[in-house]
Amino acid sequence: MADAGPAPVLVLEPRPATRRAWLREVAGYWPVLRMLAAKEFKTRYRGTTFGVVWAVVVPLLQATVLAVVFSRIARFEVAGGSYAAYVLTGMLLWSYFATSLPAATTAVVDGSNLADKVWFPRVLLILTVPLSNLIGLAVTHAILLGALPLLGTDLTPRLLALPLAALLLVLLTVGLGSVLGAMHVYFRDTRYLLQAALLVWIYLTPIIYPADLLGRWAGLLDANPLTGVVGLARWAALGGPLPARSVALAGAATAVLLAVAVEVHRRHDRRFVDLL
Amino acid sequence: MSAPSTSLPAIELDGVGKRYRLAERSLVQALRPSRRRAVRHLWAVRDLDLRVEPGETVGLLGHNGAGKSTLLRMMAGVSEPTTGRVTVRGRVAPLISVGVGFHQELTGRENVYVNGMLLGLTRAEVEARFDEIVDFAELRDRIDTPVKFYSSGMFMRLGFSVAVHVDPDVLLVDEVLAVGDVAFQLKCFDRMRELSARGTTIVLVSHSMHAIGLLCPRALLVQGGRLVFDGPSEQAIEEHHRLLALGMAAADGAEPADPVAVEAEVRRGEQPVARAEQDDELRVVGRVRFDAAVDDPRLVFRVVSEDGQLAYQYDAPMGHRHRSYRAGDVAAAEVRFRPALGAGGTFRLHLLVTDPEGRRVLGRNRDPLLLYVPPRYGVQGFADLEAAVSLDGYDFPHRPLTLGPGQPTGADAFTGAGER
Repeated sequence: MADAGPAPVLVLEPRPATRRAWLREVAGYWPVLRMLAAKEFKTRYRGTTFGVVWAVVVPLLQATVLAVVFSRIARFEVAGGSYAAYVLTGMLLWSYFATSLPAATTAVVDGSNLADKVWFPRVLLILTVPLSNLIGLAVTHAILLGALPLLGTDLTPRLLALPLAALLLVLLTVGLGSVLGAMHVYFRDTRYLLQAALLVWIYLTPIIYPADLLGRWAGLLDANPLTGVVGLARWAALGGPLPARSVALAGAATAVLLAVAVEVHRRHDRRFVDLL
Repeated sequence: MSAPSTSLPAIELDGVGKRYRLAERSLVQALRPSRRRAVRHLWAVRDLDLRVEPGETVGLLGHNGAGKSTLLRMMAGVSEPTTGRVTVRGRVAPLISVGVGFHQELTGRENVYVNGMLLGLTRAEVEARFDEIVDFAELRDRIDTPVKFYSSGMFMRLGFSVAVHVDPDVLLVDEVLAVGDVAFQLKCFDRMRELSARGTTIVLVSHSMHAIGLLCPRALLVQGGRLVFDGPSEQAIEEHHRLLALGMAAADGAEPADPVAVEAEVRRGEQPVARAEQDDELRVVGRVRFDAAVDDPRLVFRVVSEDGQLAYQYDAPMGHRHRSYRAGDVAAAEVRFRPALGAGGTFRLHLLVTDPEGRRVLGRNRDPLLLYVPPRYGVQGFADLEAAVSLDGYDFPHRPLTLGPGQPTGADAFTGAGER
């Protein structure tokens, strides 16, 4: 109509969009994505009294319990700092990962009521989850900064690297979530597989225990991209040597996952609805 | 109908097919390379070519499962074709079933924003149209209530209102007009006419022949995923009825034989008809064959609306005197009537023969008699009391109802007068 610019032309063929066209389209939906994330955030805590506090309290409580239990009973110790700060850092990142991933995995299927009618790239439904969880992640980071001095760790300029770790975490979650979200449309076992995997995953990541507990096997943990993410955050918050190898591996894994996600979504975007 | 700047078709389908997999593939099957298990497929749409010019209003007819929804989904861009190409030029506003992706927990206001932006408006554009949207939906006092507390009618009103206010170039409407009160339906019709007059292309799917006949000069009939008719909507409706009747006759074929067989058709003069004006003199002409002896049967003439409501029934003893029929007798039946059916629509006519008490149906016409009657201007409901209204001595004129897009029905003025 008159007020719009050149009218959009939609051409649908059994051929997927080119990578560039697909990415451009998704980028064009940025305002919609922001709106969806805000909506998601609003509805999640609607009707609750404490709202977003719940997003923060649960991981904090979990971290506290672990810190108390394992420092007293298992007598875990970490080099160069308090075990409590060690667990807290790991736990905050893990809780973002472990809450975002299942919701992202089921997002396309859960959003079928929206997706059935109006066109928008389906990946938006997935991206909404890690995006709306950013607020919780930011708050827990603020709490971490407040807690560090209390736990006997000095605040240093290295902390500026903390957002980098968070960024890596978010990108990893986005990449893996997008792949799993697409997979879940086709195979509804995916969410349960993930559920089971997460139970194991937390122990394959040095969240609760110090990595060197594994002795010469500790290097194997680097194959797990979360190890790099957590390592980078701990380096920023607690000091010690930078775990360059695991960080590099985490970055590489994230890049691969994102690339796979783009490929999967641009090929299947307009087929998902047939299976919902 | 104003022609937009481009002369290219608004909607173009070239050899479009859509295939669905009938059974879902499990994870295990997918991982196993063997191709032994033949996957069963269903072509919901097959080899379909179609052009809809900008500004056209087109009805889409077909019984359930004919492929209408699949077609609409592809036009909305939600689903890609398995073969061929779908081209849609301009901003598409799909209005497919009630509550286009409304979020239950959000308020009406929030949903207007979500919905408007999903349909391609910017936040500022939604803001600018917000009041108009809410007023059209008549939801001003409920707009800050979560939509989970809305009735289905309110839901539909808000959904329709958002969709028609995004100024779409192509509006896809699926069965939404079935919900909501009649006054709002008429308002929607007027709004769709208005959009059509401004150059919006509209594709309307409806089971209501009434709506199709009223809004669409052209209609498409799909069956088994193929386009079987494309032309004037009146003919399309007749063709649709013909196919519907064929399907019903086939479905009824296996029933045990009734003691009485009835054959009947609707005629105007001597001409069989499936469509008639309300003032027409019509006849149902029937032939009743008794396959068993029956004493004093009754003949029942029944008219049922599209949604299964009894619109009219006349229950008559067959003749004034006591009459008995023996097996093999044949009687001629005739019902003369005028289809004064108020707001019109598609009706199913039945001719039944019952026992003397009217309790047991001995036989009925197997081929359904479908009759489409266009609505009488300003009238709602089945009955037509032929009311004449005057206000301070001024007689409101009886205007004939006009068909076709862009021509005002004045329905808005009428319902408005009744409401306020």
